[in-house]
Amino acid sequence: MSESILNIDSITKSFVKNIVNVHGNNEDERYFIIDDLDLLVPKGKITALIGGNGAGKTTLFNIISGFVESDSGTVLYNDKSNSINISKMKPEQIARIGIGRMFQDNHIFQNLSVLENMLIADSNTFGEIPINSFFRTKKNKEVEENKIEKAKEIFENIFGNNNSFWERKNDKAKNLSYGQKRLLGLTRLLMGNYQLLLLDEPSAGVNASIIPQIMEIIKSFVDDKDLTVFLIEHNMKVVLDIADFCCFMSHGKIAALGTPDDVISNDEVRKIYMGA
Amino acid sequence: MDYIFHIIILINIYIILTTSTNLLVGMTNLLSLGQAAFYGLGAYFSVLALMVLHLTIIPALLFSAICTSLMSLLIAYPSLRLKGDYFVLATLGFQLIIYTILYNWISVTKGPFGISGIPSPSLFGLLYISGIYSFLVLSSVLAAMVIYIFYKLIHSPFGRALKGVRDDELSLLSIGRNVTSLKIWAFTLSSGFIAIGGCLYASYVAYIDPTSFNLDEAIFILAAVLIGGTGNIKGPIIGAVFVVVLPELLRLVGLPDSIGANLRQIIYGLTIILLMRFRPQGIAGEYALK
Repeated sequence: MSESILNIDSITKSFVKNIVNVHGNNEDERYFIIDDLDLLVPKGKITALIGGNGAGKTTLFNIISGFVESDSGTVLYNDKSNSINISKMKPEQIARIGIGRMFQDNHIFQNLSVLENMLIADSNTFGEIPINSFFRTKKNKEVEENKIEKAKEIFENIFGNNNSFWERKNDKAKNLSYGQKRLLGLTRLLMGNYQLLLLDEPSAGVNASIIPQIMEIIKSFVDDKDLTVFLIEHNMKVVLDIADFCCFMSHGKIAALGTPDDVISNDEVRKIYMGA
Repeated sequence: MDYIFHIIILINIYIILTTSTNLLVGMTNLLSLGQAAFYGLGAYFSVLALMVLHLTIIPALLFSAICTSLMSLLIAYPSLRLKGDYFVLATLGFQLIIYTILYNWISVTKGPFGISGIPSPSLFGLLYISGIYSFLVLSSVLAAMVIYIFYKLIHSPFGRALKGVRDDELSLLSIGRNVTSLKIWAFTLSSGFIAIGGCLYASYVAYIDPTSFNLDEAIFILAAVLIGGTGNIKGPIIGAVFVVVLPELLRLVGLPDSIGANLRQIIYGLTIILLMRFRPQGIAGEYALK
C-alpha cells in the first residue's frame, strides 16, 4: 500500500444503554459502534468503505471529520508536509486543514442559488467579514470575481461548456432534482482547498443514469486533481469500478481489507454482507 | 399634517427595529425574544449620552449602538451555543432580566417613573433637532441608512454565509466556517442597529420608561418581522408599515380605544396564524422560518 493520508489508530466509540437483566435489575451495558479500529487510508487513491447498516461507517466518518468525538484512539492526518492529530479538532478546523466531506443526505444550501452554493464553498473567506462585505473594496471584488470564474471553470471541466448548472446558476438549489443536488454537492468540493474527500454514499438514491457521471467525477478527483477519496458505498458496481482499495466493516471493526475483488470474494464478507 | 409626520417617524423607527431583527431572524434563523431589551438598552444608553455626557446626535447614536453591541456580546457567546428552542428561551431570559433591571434600578433608570426631559439632540452643536420636521428628516435618513447598510450586507459574502447558517449549519461547518462566530456577528450587528432605533425613540419622545421595552414589545417587533416577511429587505419594511398603520386605521374607523386596542391584538394574531398557514414566509418575505 502507498503512503497513507490518514492513520486511524485504535478508535473506539461506544454508548451506554440501561437495560433490565434476567434478574429484573437495571444495569448499564456498553455498546461499541466503533471497536478499537485501526486503518490506514492510502494517499492519492480511492478507498471504499463497505458494510451493513449499523456497522459504524458513518460514525467513523463523523469521527474523522470532527462531528463526533471518539472515546479513545487517534486520527492522524498526513498533510503535504506534516502529520496532524485531528482527534480533538472541531469540524470547521478539520475542513480548513484539507478534509472535505459530502454527507449522506443532501446537505447543500437549499435557499442559495446554484452559483452561491459554489461560492460559499470556496476556501477563501476574505469577503465574509462584515466590514469587508460592506466596503466593497477592489480586493473584495477581485476575490468574488475569482470565485465566480473558478466555479464556472469547475462546471465546464466536469459538465462541459454550456452545461445546465451554469445556465441555471441563479436558480435556487432547492429547485434542482435530487440527482443534480448530489452532483452539485460533489462538484462544490472542488471549490475547497482539500486533499482528502470523505464521500458518504455519493450514488445513494440517484437515478441510474447519473451514477456513471458520479463515478467519473470521483475518478477525476484522484486522476486530475491528485486528491484522495475515502467513500462509503453500498453500490458494489461503483466500488468495483472506481475503488483502488476496499475495507469491509462489521460490528465496528475492519473485518476485511484489500482490493475490491479480494474483499468481495472474501467468504466472511459474502456471508455477512451479501448473504451468500 | 403633523399627525402624518408622526406616523412616518414611528414607521421609520420600526423599520430600523424590524430590519435589524431580520438579520437575526430572517437571515440567520435565530428567533430572538430579546430584541426589545436591546431597543431599551439603546434608549437608556442614549439618555446617558445626551443627558450626562452631553453628546451631539451622531456620537450619541454611535455610543448607544456600541454600548448595546457590547452588552449583546454578554448574551451572545453563551446563548449562541444553544440551539433552537433553547436559544429562544435564553433570549427570553435576557429580555426579562434587562426589563427587571430597568424597572428596579431606580437610582440609575428611575424605574417605573421613567426618565423625562430628554433634551433635543443637536447636530454638531449647530442645529437642534427638536420639531417634528427635524425628527422626520432625521428618522428618514437613519431608516434609509439602515436599509442601505443591511441591503449591502445581505447581498454580500457575509450575507451569503449567514444564509448558510440559516439553511444548514452542518454543511457550513463541513466547509470550514465558524458558525458560532457568524452568529455572534449577526447578533451583535442586529443589537447595535436596534439601539439606533432606541436612541431615535428616546430623543423623539423625550421620555422613556421600562414598559416601552417589555416582552410585549419584543413580541410586537418579532410579529412585525414575521408579518412583513423575512429573508429580504422589503419584508421587514412592509411589516413595520403594517404594525404602525393598522392601529391608526382602526382609530379612523371610529372604534373606542378600549375596543380598538384589543381588536388590534386579535388582528395581529389572526394575521400571523393565516400567514403561517398560507404564506409562512410573510407578506413579502422569501424565507419561511424552520
